[in-house]
Amino acid sequence: MKLFKFSLRLWIMLTSVLSFLMGWIMLAHSPKPIQNSTPSSANIAPLPTLAPLPNLSTGNNQSSWNLFQNSPLSVQPQVQPQIQQPVQPTIQQSSNFAPMPKFQTSGS
Amino acid sequence: MKSLEFRAMNTSILLAAEGDDEALAGLQVARAFIEVCEKRFSRFLPDSEVTQLNKRSGQWQTVSDDLMDLLTLSLRYFKETGGLFNPSILPDLKRAGYDKSMEIIRVEGPGQDSGKYQGSRSAITDIEFDLSNARVRLPKSMEIDLGGIAKGWIVEKTANLLISYASPCAVSAGGDITFIGNPSSGLKWEVELVDPVNPDQISAIFYVGQCSVVTSSITKRAWRQNGEIRHHLIDPRTGEPAHTDWLSVTVISSQITEAEAFAKALLIGGETEASRLGSNNPELAFITVDRDGRISGSQFGKEYLNNYERILS
Repeated sequence: MKLFKFSLRLWIMLTSVLSFLMGWIMLAHSPKPIQNSTPSSANIAPLPTLAPLPNLSTGNNQSSWNLFQNSPLSVQPQVQPQIQQPVQPTIQQSSNFAPMPKFQTSGS
Repeated sequence: MKSLEFRAMNTSILLAAEGDDEALAGLQVARAFIEVCEKRFSRFLPDSEVTQLNKRSGQWQTVSDDLMDLLTLSLRYFKETGGLFNPSILPDLKRAGYDKSMEIIRVEGPGQDSGKYQGSRSAITDIEFDLSNARVRLPKSMEIDLGGIAKGWIVEKTANLLISYASPCAVSAGGDITFIGNPSSGLKWEVELVDPVNPDQISAIFYVGQCSVVTSSITKRAWRQNGEIRHHLIDPRTGEPAHTDWLSVTVISSQITEAEAFAKALLIGGETEASRLGSNNPELAFITVDRDGRISGSQFGKEYLNNYERILS
């Protein structure tokens, strides 16, 4: 029984060492990956281009305080429609980006 | 953004800070600081420093550095506002019914009017200061209420404490807010101006960077005394609750104690005094809401509202 256990251990050890060495030799002789520092433009999604924001004062006479009060601003950025896959910013989601609490001022 | 809400100083407190564990620790330390400060400066607590000072009017009383700071600030703003900001109106405030905390008044009702204003009250400028020995002496029978300015002072000190744990941060006590730094999202701090008539609605939203925002209003702490509506904003010229042009005034300033003093002074003084206060302090940024809900303000106040959203209800 002892001889069987010893043989088994020896066999496992030798096959492990041999497998490791074979793997090492194979990797050492395998072709190296192509290092391409200039990425192909085909791999990058086009950046979205935004139309310039309209001037807030254009078209509204906002010099009057009352007019200003009664004219809510509705300025929408115009995204070019041909863009299909805009680049998504990679934001690290953490508690720092949790919604800001509502601050209200009402007097006391 | 981590935040913590609780009640203290008879109002709702909101603390916020960016960060992880340190921010959470900072919020708890800030809360403890506010609770300690409340016990020192409340006029409703018998053992507070302010109550003890009022009880010993006419005698020299040793005060802490913080109370001395508050008293010297009060004196400074009394002078800068031409006497409209005046913490020595406490006897008139009590006479108008505000003789106990607002939470108790809402249950038990206000105190009874004990007569008309006599007009012989000592001015806050009569307080004697002995700075080298950290002592002050109130004129006999003078009582002071540091409620508003103490709240602002506590908010500012709390924000300065919280920023040592996490940045940026913000501290709000019933709408007296100090912001330190800007949110890392790149946006500014968003502040909702509550409608003074319908507190469930918002009059406007505006955006600020590092600054303090204070609103003074006559609608929130109001009650009926002998069938008449009274509020907590006493006009020092008459000794009675002020008859105001506006329902609320919001001041935006780099110093919260300044904002606190000028919000009160502008609300009491109305349009007439606003032009005088504005000419002495041309960079004063304030926003007013009148009885019809119309929003107006100073030139610098308008600039804060230039990118605002008007809530149309």
